[in-house]
Amino acid sequence: MQRSKAAAGVEVKRVIGALCRLLAALGLDPVPAPEAFRRAKFGGRPEGDPFWQLLSSILHMSGIISSETSSQLRGELRKLVAAGLWQSGYHADWIYGADAGSFCSRDLLLALGWLLAKGVLETLLAGRVEQLDQTLLSSAPEKPEFSADLELDAASLRRLQWLMGHLRHRGRTLLSTIGARTRALHEVLSSSQVCSAAPSAGRSSAALTEDCFSLQQLCELLDAYVSWKQVEKVFWTWMDSVADRRLCDLRDRTSSQGVSHSLGACHQGKQRLEEMLRGPAQQQDVKSGDADWAVASLPPSLSSRLSAPSVHQMCRARLQAEQRLRRPSEGPHGGAAAPGELPAPQAAQLLLQAETELLQRRDRRRLANRKQLQGLMGSLDQQVFIAL
Amino acid sequence: MSVVTVQLGQCGNQVGQELFDVISSDAQDGQRKTYSSVSRERFFRQTSQGDFEARAVLVDMEPKVINHSMNRAAKSGRWRYAEASHFSQKQGSGNNWANGFRVLGPRHRDAVEELVRREVEHCDVLAGFIPMMSVAGGTGSGVGTFVTQCLRDVYPSSFVLNHLTWPYGTGEVIVQNYNSVLTLAHLYQLSDALLVHENDAVHRICSQQLNLKQISFGDLNRVIAHQLAGVLQPALTPDSCGAYSGNPLGIDWQVRPPPASAGRTSSLTAGGFNASLANLLILRGKDVYSAETGGFEDPAIYTSWLPPAEALSLWKSPVPFDKYEKSATLVSNSQALLRPLDDMVRKAWNMFASRAYIHQYVKFGISEEDFLDSFTSLEQVISSYAQLQC
Repeated sequence: MQRSKAAAGVEVKRVIGALCRLLAALGLDPVPAPEAFRRAKFGGRPEGDPFWQLLSSILHMSGIISSETSSQLRGELRKLVAAGLWQSGYHADWIYGADAGSFCSRDLLLALGWLLAKGVLETLLAGRVEQLDQTLLSSAPEKPEFSADLELDAASLRRLQWLMGHLRHRGRTLLSTIGARTRALHEVLSSSQVCSAAPSAGRSSAALTEDCFSLQQLCELLDAYVSWKQVEKVFWTWMDSVADRRLCDLRDRTSSQGVSHSLGACHQGKQRLEEMLRGPAQQQDVKSGDADWAVASLPPSLSSRLSAPSVHQMCRARLQAEQRLRRPSEGPHGGAAAPGELPAPQAAQLLLQAETELLQRRDRRRLANRKQLQGLMGSLDQQVFIAL
Repeated sequence: MSVVTVQLGQCGNQVGQELFDVISSDAQDGQRKTYSSVSRERFFRQTSQGDFEARAVLVDMEPKVINHSMNRAAKSGRWRYAEASHFSQKQGSGNNWANGFRVLGPRHRDAVEELVRREVEHCDVLAGFIPMMSVAGGTGSGVGTFVTQCLRDVYPSSFVLNHLTWPYGTGEVIVQNYNSVLTLAHLYQLSDALLVHENDAVHRICSQQLNLKQISFGDLNRVIAHQLAGVLQPALTPDSCGAYSGNPLGIDWQVRPPPASAGRTSSLTAGGFNASLANLLILRGKDVYSAETGGFEDPAIYTSWLPPAEALSLWKSPVPFDKYEKSATLVSNSQALLRPLDDMVRKAWNMFASRAYIHQYVKFGISEEDFLDSFTSLEQVISSYAQLQC
């Protein structure tokens, strides 16, 4: 057990190393070391600066935060990151400032996981590749600024079409000329006996070295991305463990604050559910004598009580699981099913059965309602029923 | 820079053979080394035995015409077709565009593409393709359109210039107008340029200028080949700086240029003229550099939004062409084709209105919708050309 754990640990470190390499290649300096990631998982200092910086630079580079916002909030990293995360759809408690006591760097890790899952890596990659690769034509043209008073008459449109065709043609001619030139160059080079060193014109060599460098960077970046993609799954399982930890933490904290509070919340939910199931049966009696279409067109509802025990059992099972967490010392005893409890698969089965039953009942109810409606229509003469 | 010709159908194969004949005899003259070598490189390839084989793929749905063309080529002694560069079937297309486009084309796609690919591989630098076909028949038009589409798909950056032979107005094939409409509507989208020869116009040239009494298809084909070769043989373009322009298709083909040419230097007569979008004038022979071409730059014959300086391209070659001391070829993208096109569409529409023969097309997968689409796009072309003057 220990050995596999250690091996898993090394594997995780490798994977996180790949991620760090990728982030560095994307130009997001500074990147925290893999060790920092691991420490963050176990709840490190909430003021873990490297992660704040990392998140803020990711948000900035991928365009989630506009440059104006970043210049406004320059000094306040936390606000910046919070704003950016909220913008990207991550609504965690700590963003709203609540629950400040429980905030730790694990939350930052989770935020990072969220951003990664959102595909921010791909965006950054595309941006960086565009920067580095000189041969790429810019893919999306800038939004053309059209002045509002643009007169489009037929003549200029035609001229535009002509010019487009002209351009396309010239482009093609250029391509073929380049091909011919390459061919000729190849012939010259292959037939020449003496291979002299390429004469380096002073001006062009600097540009060439620059090109060379950016190509190297590009290659490294793509390499890092590919190796990241290969080990990504492991990273997500690790991230799951981080999330689990957080969840446990949360439960521990909330349970220590007040067991009754959470249980009470669960009970309330249960009661509301029962009410919902019971309620429509009463409403149905009101409907039958009424000729009012508004009432008759109520959505079909459950007319009989759901077998409540299964829902209760589910709730109870969940509560038991929570209790078990609080008492980890119980060990193997917690596995035995206490009376009145349901192990998960049976509960799931029960729920599925209940669902099919409910659906059937709903369909029957719908049919009954429709017949009722038709009866009503029949009874009202000189009025036409228009279905919307 | 080499050009691969794809000869399709009866007309395409006959005209193609005549074309290669003219080109090879024109390039024969040993005095003009550069001209000959460029021309030969463009259209022929040399085998290990020193023979010239045409860079051509011959496609037809019946074997008769292909065999005939290949035999004639071999008989000339100067050049021939490569042994394996042809593809034929036994049954023909029955003058049915739908049959050619929907059935026979896809069926034989792989074989034809393979032939083209082999021809392309023999080229050092590929300039483009010239599919040659008639618009009235079944194979040339239907299979030809499909092959053009395949060329477009497989070689998206290559130039595709379709040479089309327009049937006689009072033509032989009763559904020729349907075939023509469908072909033109499709090729408009696929091809880079359409070069059209009308049988009627060529017939007129034969009877009035060449004074031939009995005009056969062979005569027509020879005239067409001569004109086409006049365009395709090497010439000096304004930006080629004294060397023969590598790319023979390096002009601004915009839309549909029909050629009007003369055997001797000619000038465009004003009065009753057609407005031109663009013109290409090619002069060959003696005194070519001192020729007066101002008449072609008259702004009255061009549209208002394209100045004559851009619209007129002038190519010259001091080398006499095809034993003519002086010759001029005018390739014109103008309203000259408007009348024949309009006539053709009108006749096709009249037939379509009574749904005559439509079932034969529907049988092979061309629905009335497709017909209507083709009519619409051609009507748009006609109206654009009709409004060219403004």
